[in-house]
Amino acid sequence: MADVQLIGVTKRFGSVVACDAVELHIADGEFVTLLGPSGCGKTTTLNMIAGLEEVSDGEIRMNGRLVNDLSPFERDVAMVFQNYALYPHMTVGDNIGFTLRLRKRPKEEIREKVSRVADMLELGHLLDRLPRELSGGQQQRVALGRAVIREPAVYLFDEPFSNLDAALRIRMRAEIKELHQRLQVTSVFVTHDQEEAMSISDRVAIMRAGRIEQVGTPEEVYARPVTTYVARFIGSPQMDIFEGVLERSEAGVAYRVGEVAFPVPPSIGDRLPATPVDLGIRPEHVTIVDGGAEGVPVSIRVVQPIGPVTYVTLGWDGGVITSRVPGMARLEPGAAAHVRLDGEHLLFFDRESGRLLDLGGRDG
Amino acid sequence: MSRRTRRGLARAAVWLLLGMFIVLALGPVAWGVVTSLMPLSALTTVPPEISLANVTLDNYQEVLLSDQSLTRGLVNSAIIATLTAVISLSLGSAAAYALSRLQVVGANKMLLGILATQMFPGIVIAIPLFLVFSQIGLIDTYPGLVIIYLSFTLPIVIWILKGFFDAIPPQLERAAAVDGASPFQVFRLVILPISLPALFAAGVFAFIESWNEFFFAIIFTRISVKTAPIAIAEFSGQYQTLYGQMLAAAVLASIPVVVLAIIFRRFILEGFVEGAVKG
Repeated sequence: MADVQLIGVTKRFGSVVACDAVELHIADGEFVTLLGPSGCGKTTTLNMIAGLEEVSDGEIRMNGRLVNDLSPFERDVAMVFQNYALYPHMTVGDNIGFTLRLRKRPKEEIREKVSRVADMLELGHLLDRLPRELSGGQQQRVALGRAVIREPAVYLFDEPFSNLDAALRIRMRAEIKELHQRLQVTSVFVTHDQEEAMSISDRVAIMRAGRIEQVGTPEEVYARPVTTYVARFIGSPQMDIFEGVLERSEAGVAYRVGEVAFPVPPSIGDRLPATPVDLGIRPEHVTIVDGGAEGVPVSIRVVQPIGPVTYVTLGWDGGVITSRVPGMARLEPGAAAHVRLDGEHLLFFDRESGRLLDLGGRDG
Repeated sequence: MSRRTRRGLARAAVWLLLGMFIVLALGPVAWGVVTSLMPLSALTTVPPEISLANVTLDNYQEVLLSDQSLTRGLVNSAIIATLTAVISLSLGSAAAYALSRLQVVGANKMLLGILATQMFPGIVIAIPLFLVFSQIGLIDTYPGLVIIYLSFTLPIVIWILKGFFDAIPPQLERAAAVDGASPFQVFRLVILPISLPALFAAGVFAFIESWNEFFFAIIFTRISVKTAPIAIAEFSGQYQTLYGQMLAAAVLASIPVVVLAIIFRRFILEGFVEGAVKG
């Protein structure tokens, strides 16, 4: 059990700054995911927490103790690697028990613990196999078992599912989440898959170019992304973000994108600054309406039913927007339609900095 | 021509080429074995009287029992080749591991430099080396020959092993470090066992190279450390060549190499690293 603190953690490789003053506090028992595209520094951060990579600057503390100069083993962390990193010459049992063997535990104890962990991960019948005789999912489980048997203070996961096929990935997600719920051990998970991050984490830290852009619960980062970068990264399909123009008139405030102007509720419109702002809206807050006063005219471009919902791409002269429609909607591409943006969920970002404008008076 | 006939012809051509290669490779060996089983009289008549009736083991008996020079040569060769292989492996594996894993400044240049030493024709260095070796008393000694052989086995061994170590994913070492292994334990318990096939291959390579070497052996040995190839060559004298005995000696000298090559092949094909990582 441990809490983990990253204080101004920086990593330089020559002149390249891989991690730039990363600040993160992971509470005891929390499941935090570092999320970002490749090269954003998330794996380097994880390796520094693990003790596999030296910290150039800053402090890493576990339970308040400075661990910068401690080996991975001394930090009491266990890590699951992207490509599993199983010892190819050892059986499944020996792979799982390797760490206990290094600690010179009695043979009887090793056997007992290995079989307990193996049973938990449904590997009991595979103990005498070599890694190369296992399927990808089984190999992943062995890697997990090797971490679990340690009963470490912190679990570290480096994109552990990226080599699995989609169905297996979703199953393993649930398994990791269940494991965490059962063991309640502090866990740091690295992935570039936003859906994976959202689905298993207590909190998500979105990284960009070596810095943490936002840390928050999945709900927070989804509903109130602090920058356009986070807004685009979280959610699938992506949030639509427009570089339009605010129009203020007697009738109220509207946001013009090409030929159409979306009305902005007065409560928000009145607070918007005079500087250029971008408008962001998620597909579920774009509703297709029966025309009339509240909708703006568009045409249907593409209809993508995926089962529970249908994504409809709507276009007009100067822009496109995606709407999420429940069920398998029967809509004809090319037909005219009207859309309404849910005023409650309009997000405005400062165009220059890309930061979310806090307009108050709303909840996320 | 239909696709089918074309494919058939291509197949036939491949088989023909393979057949020619086999004849080319095995022909001399077969001829050597046959010759070693014939008495000298049968070999020196024109045409040679190669027939089953003439088969005899006299040549083998002669080279093994009556004349001690081959046995001594084989023993010397075994000592020199074993020493060369063992030293190549110990130095080579350490060097290759360091070049593969540590951030050595100029590692690539170093590797090229190591390979560049192999570009000189042996004859260029033979005479200067001979002068140096006679000054420091290394002519006709085990260390003398082992040092020379190391100069051409070690670079290749380093290259073979470096390539192999490069292919071992670094995550394995990281995983072992996280599991609590010291750097030495990582090497001994993880890297070394995985590398056995490659180490074995490199060792066999060094052994065979030194076992078969003739050019430097004939220049740098006199009496005491004469190797097997030299002993074989000496069956060809000024007045007569004892073809039968010479080839009997050659057949005997190739047995260890053939045995090693067979084991070597099985070992190499095992592909130990498979299953270590995915992706």
